[in-house]
Amino acid sequence: MDTNKLIKISSITKKLLVALFGAFLLVFLLFHMCANLFILAKDGGEAYGAFTHFMGTNVIVKVLEVVLLGTFLLHICLSVYLWWQNRKNRPVRYHQTSRTKTAKGSKLAIISGSLLLVCLIFHFYDFYFVKLNFVEGTYMVKTEEFMNSEPDQEISEEARVAFMNLINDGKTSKDMQWIRQISAEDKAVLQEAFPKAEFEPDFYAMARQKFSIWHIVLGYLVFFLVVGLHIRHGFESAFQTFGLNHYKYSRLVEILGIIYCWVVCLGFAIVPIGVFFGL
Amino acid sequence: MVLDSKIPEGPLSEKWTNYKIKQKLVNPANKRKLDIIVVGTGLAGASAAASLGALGFNVDIFCIQDSPRRAHSIAAQGGINAAKNYQNDGDSVERLFRDTIKGGDYRAREANVYRLAEVSGDIIDQCVAQGVPFARDYSGLLDNRSFGGAQVSRTFYARGQTGQQLLLGAYGALSREINRGTVKLHTRCEMEELVLVKDKDGKERARGIIVRNLVSGKLERYAAHAVVLATGGYGNVYFLSTNAMNSNGSAAWICHRKGALFANPCYVQIHPTCIPVHGDYQSKLTLMSESLRNDGRIWVPKKKEDAEAIRAGQKKANDIPEEERDYYLERRYPAFGNLVPRDVASRAAKERCDAGYGVGSTGLAVYLDFADAIKRLGKKVVEQKYGNLFQMYQKITDDNPYETPMMIYPAVHYTMGGLWVDYELQTTIPGLFAAGEANFSDHGANRLGASALMQGLADGYFVLPYTLQNYLSDQITIGHISTDTPEFDEAEQSVRQREQRLMDIKGDKTVDYFHKRLGHIMWEYVGMSRNEESLTKAAAMIDELENEFWQHVQVPGDIESFNPEMEKALRLADYFELARLITADALHRKESCGGHFRTESQTEDGETKRDDENFMYVAAWEYQGHANPETLHKEELNYEHIKIATRNYKN
Amino acid sequence: MNFTLHIWRQENAKAKGHFETYKVSDISPECSFLEMLDILNEQLINDHIAHPVCFDNDCREGICGMCGLYINGRPHGNDDGITTCQLHMRKFHDGDEIWIEPWRAKAFPIIRDLVVDRSAFDKIIQSGGYVSVTTGGVPDANAIPVPKRFADMAMDAAECIGCGACVAACKNASAMLFVGAKVAHLAMLPQGQVEANERVKKMVCKMDELGFGSCTNTYACEAECPKQIKRQNIARLNREWIKQLFAGNHKPEE
Repeated sequence: MDTNKLIKISSITKKLLVALFGAFLLVFLLFHMCANLFILAKDGGEAYGAFTHFMGTNVIVKVLEVVLLGTFLLHICLSVYLWWQNRKNRPVRYHQTSRTKTAKGSKLAIISGSLLLVCLIFHFYDFYFVKLNFVEGTYMVKTEEFMNSEPDQEISEEARVAFMNLINDGKTSKDMQWIRQISAEDKAVLQEAFPKAEFEPDFYAMARQKFSIWHIVLGYLVFFLVVGLHIRHGFESAFQTFGLNHYKYSRLVEILGIIYCWVVCLGFAIVPIGVFFGL
Repeated sequence: MVLDSKIPEGPLSEKWTNYKIKQKLVNPANKRKLDIIVVGTGLAGASAAASLGALGFNVDIFCIQDSPRRAHSIAAQGGINAAKNYQNDGDSVERLFRDTIKGGDYRAREANVYRLAEVSGDIIDQCVAQGVPFARDYSGLLDNRSFGGAQVSRTFYARGQTGQQLLLGAYGALSREINRGTVKLHTRCEMEELVLVKDKDGKERARGIIVRNLVSGKLERYAAHAVVLATGGYGNVYFLSTNAMNSNGSAAWICHRKGALFANPCYVQIHPTCIPVHGDYQSKLTLMSESLRNDGRIWVPKKKEDAEAIRAGQKKANDIPEEERDYYLERRYPAFGNLVPRDVASRAAKERCDAGYGVGSTGLAVYLDFADAIKRLGKKVVEQKYGNLFQMYQKITDDNPYETPMMIYPAVHYTMGGLWVDYELQTTIPGLFAAGEANFSDHGANRLGASALMQGLADGYFVLPYTLQNYLSDQITIGHISTDTPEFDEAEQSVRQREQRLMDIKGDKTVDYFHKRLGHIMWEYVGMSRNEESLTKAAAMIDELENEFWQHVQVPGDIESFNPEMEKALRLADYFELARLITADALHRKESCGGHFRTESQTEDGETKRDDENFMYVAAWEYQGHANPETLHKEELNYEHIKIATRNYKN
Repeated sequence: MNFTLHIWRQENAKAKGHFETYKVSDISPECSFLEMLDILNEQLINDHIAHPVCFDNDCREGICGMCGLYINGRPHGNDDGITTCQLHMRKFHDGDEIWIEPWRAKAFPIIRDLVVDRSAFDKIIQSGGYVSVTTGGVPDANAIPVPKRFADMAMDAAECIGCGACVAACKNASAMLFVGAKVAHLAMLPQGQVEANERVKKMVCKMDELGFGSCTNTYACEAECPKQIKRQNIARLNREWIKQLFAGNHKPEE
C-alpha cells in the first residue's frame, strides 16, 4: 500500500487502529502487572525465574513479542501522525487560551504519551535491552546446561573459579536446577568456556537490585503515574472510539476505567515499594 | 385590470383533482432544459426547489444567509397542522378547512384553503419519510397536541422545534438535489431586482433576477423560465418583531414595484405570547410558543392597586391570591378559554394593559401561569412538554417559570398579506410565483397557529410542482435565456444607482436609527388596533421620516464589499414604501377582521365587527411609482361552500 | 456596565487581521451580547471611528445557528447550552475586558472580521446527510411505528443547529459531533436505515476531505454545544463507521 492510500484511510479508521493497538497494550499491561507480582515472592526468584524462562523460550510468546513491539510502534506512530495532522486544521490559533471544560486526560494524551515513551526507554534500558543483549545485566542459566554441554576445550581456571564461587555463594535454586545472579563478567567467562550454554537475563535479581535504590524506585513511581494518566484516557477513549459508548453504559465504562486504572497502577507500584521496604 | 384567480371548475372538494387532471405537463427530456429560480430557502423555497429539482428541472436557489438551513422557518416552535384524524377526535379535511376559514375571519379564498387542508396529510407522510423525528407516544405512533382556534388535536410537533425539524427535512431534500446536480445553491445572495422580458407576443414575463453577492458586494445576473419567490413576510417593518434580523420584505416589494399586485398588506398577525420588551436597545422579540397556552393560564390582577404594586416592584405575582386574579380569557371566552385565536388573545392582553392592569416594569405584560398545570400533571410532565421553552425563557429573563409565572406580551409575528397570487400561486406577473408567507393566499385576515408550516410545505411540495409545470409546458420553445440583454443591463444599472444614491447621502444617522423610529410609528399607530385618526397620522409621519432618511442616513464602507449596513439600508428604503401601503390598506378597510382591528368597527364587548357587505374582497394594490397612492383592485370572495357567520369563540 | 472590547478585525479573506480595542459604556445587564455589539456599531458609525464590526446573526433566539463568536476563550461565551445571541451582559462583570474572536478552523475561512464561511457543513450534509426520498409516493406517516425511546434519541441528535461551535472548541477543529449528530439522528429511525452504510461513508470522507480534524475524545464539542448534543452521538458515528467497514461493498456493474 503506498503512502497516499494510507493517508487516505479515513480519520475514523486511523483512530480505530490507534484504539485497537491501545486496547491490546491495555491487555498486555494487565498481564505484565500480574507477572511482576512474582517479584514480591521471597523464593529467590524460583517462580519468577520459571515464568521468565517460559516467556523467553516459548515460540508463540516470541511471536507475540514481535506483535507487541509492532503494536507499540504503530500506536505511537499513528498517534503522532494524527496529532501532527490535527494541528494543521487550525492554522491561526486563538489568542485567548481555551476555557472550555474538557477531558484533560484526552487533551494531554499526546503529552502523557510522549512522557511515557521517554520513561519506556529508561525502562527498556533497565530490563528489556538486557534480553536483547544491548546492555549488560544479571543472568541466570540452567545447571543442566553445564552438565550436558561438553566444554570445547579444557575449562579455564578462571571459569572454574567463577563457577565454584556461584555454587558456594548459594546462588543456585533449591532444587539445584538453576544458577542465578550471574554477573556480566562471570557470564562472559562462563560463556567462553561453555559456548552452548544459554544464559537468560535474571530479571528477578535485576529488579530486586534496582528497586533497592531509592531514586530508581521514585523514578518508577513517576513512570506508573504517567501510565495511569495515559490509560485513564485510553480505557474510556477506546470504548468511545469503538462506538461502545452508550447512554446506558457510559457510567459503567467510566467506573470500569477507574478501577482498571487503579488496579494496574497500584499493582505496578507495589513491587518497587515492596522490594524497597524489604517485603 | 381584472383579477383572475383561475379557480378550477367543479365542487370544492374536487377542484384540485380536476386541476391536476387537466393541467399540462412537461416531458422528462425537456425538464432539464427549463430553468427555474427559487428565491429563499425556508420551508416553501427549500421544499419547492427540492421537489422541482427531483422532477428534473434546472433550479437555482438563493438565500441571504450562509446556509439554506438558517431560514427563519427554523424558529417555528409549536407544530404543523394536518387533517390526519389519528386521534379519532372527529378531524377531517372539511373540518381543517372550516377551522382555517373561520380562523381567517372569512377573508381567505375557499378553493386555496380547501386544497391546503387536502394536502396537509401528505406533508406529514413526506416529512416522516424524510426522517423528521416527530413526537411519538409509547405505541410508537405519532403524537398530537391541540392548538389555538381548533377543538381537535391535529398538531404534529417535534418538541418545541417543529419548524427546525421540518426545515432540516426540506434542507435534506434540497441538499440531495444539490448533490445530484439538479439544484444549484447560491448562499449570501440577496435579490435586488426582478428582470422582465417581453415575449414575441408582447407579454412581459419574469425571466430573471439581479442579486447582490453579499460577500463581494458585486451584482450577479441569473436568468430562468420562471421565478419563484419564497422570501417570507414583512413583519420587520415594525422593527421589533419575532422575525429574524435579516428577514425582510424587499424581494416581494421589488416584484410589487415591477407590477405584481400586493394583497391585504394590513393583515399583520400579532402573536400573543412573546417575551415583553425591556429596553430601547432591544433588537428583536422572542416568541414563546403558542402551545404554552394549552396548559398555561393567562391572568392579570383583578385590582388595579395590585397591578400598580407589581409594576412598582412592591408585589410579586405569587403574592396575588387566587381570587384576586382575573383569568380574562377564560372569563370572556368560556368555550375556547386560553385557546382562542391569536388575534383575539393579543387584543385581550392589550385591552387589559391599556385599562391599567398590566404587569412587569413597563406595565406592558400579562402573566402566563403554569402553577395549575404543574399541580395537575407534575413538574416532570410539564418539563417534558415545555422544558426547552422554559429554559429559553429563563435564559432571556433570568426568571424561573416553574416558580413564578411567565410574563408575556403580544408582538408582531406573521404577515398574512403578501403578493397576490391566483390558484396556481402565480402573481400578476406571468412567470413569477410566490409561495409561503410571501404570498397572501390561505390565511385570510388571521393565521391559525401551526398553519404557517403547513402552508409553506404545501406550496413547496405539493402545489408548485404541479402549477409551475403547467406554466412551463409551453416555455420550452423559448430556449436558453441569455443574461446579456438590455433588460438585464437596465435592471443591474437601476440597482447600482439605488446603492450609489444611498451611499452618496453620507448623512449623520445610522440605518437602525430610522428603522427603530419607523417601527415605533407602525406599532403605535398601525399596530394591534387602528383607527382613521391614527392611520392618517401614521401616513404623514412615514412620509416625513422617509424624507429624513433619504437626507440623513449614513451608509459606511464601500458598495462592493461585505457591507451589512448597505443591506439594511436597501431593505429599509423598501420598508418605507411598504409601511405606506400597509397604512393605506388599513385606512381603506373600514371594518375589523382577524388581525386588522379598527376601533371604529367593534361589537359591544370589543370584538371584531366585520362588514361583509362592503369588504368581502381581497384588496390587491398596484404600484404607481414612488410615493404615489396605489390603485386598488378587488378580488371578490365568493363563498360557495361555507356559510358565513360571525366568528365566535365564546360558546 | 462598562466594558473594554478587543475585537478581531480583518478586512477580507486575504487581508491580515489584528485585534482592535474599543470601549462601550452604560450597557444594561439585560442587554444581550449581540445588542451590545449593535450599540458599539452604532457608536462606530456615528463617531466615524471605523467600519462597523461585521458578525453573523439572524434569528437572535438561539435556533438558526448563524451567530458564533469565540468570547474570552469559549465559543458562544461563558455559559453552557446557549448560542452567542442568548448570552446576556449580566453574565459579565462591570469593567470586564472581553476578547472576541471568530471561529478558527482551516475549514471555516474568515470572510470579514468575525464572519466565517461555514459552507463546509452544507457540503457534508450534501454528501449524504438525508434520506433520499423524492416528493410524494411515501407510506402513511403511521405505517412504521418508531419506539418512543428511539424517536426521542433521534430528536436529541437532530437538534443540532449547525453553528460550528463544536469545530471552534475542538483542539483538532474536528466536526465529529456535527457529523455524528446527523448520522445518529438518521440511524435511530427506520427511515434512515436503508442508506445508513452509504451515508456514514460519504459524510465521513467528505468531512476528512474538507479539512476537519479527527476526534481525540476531549469532548470540548459536547461542553460547548448550544444544544448540548452528547458525545454518545460520536460513539454512534464510530459504530456506524465500523458497521460500514464490515458491510459488503456491492458495486453495481457499469
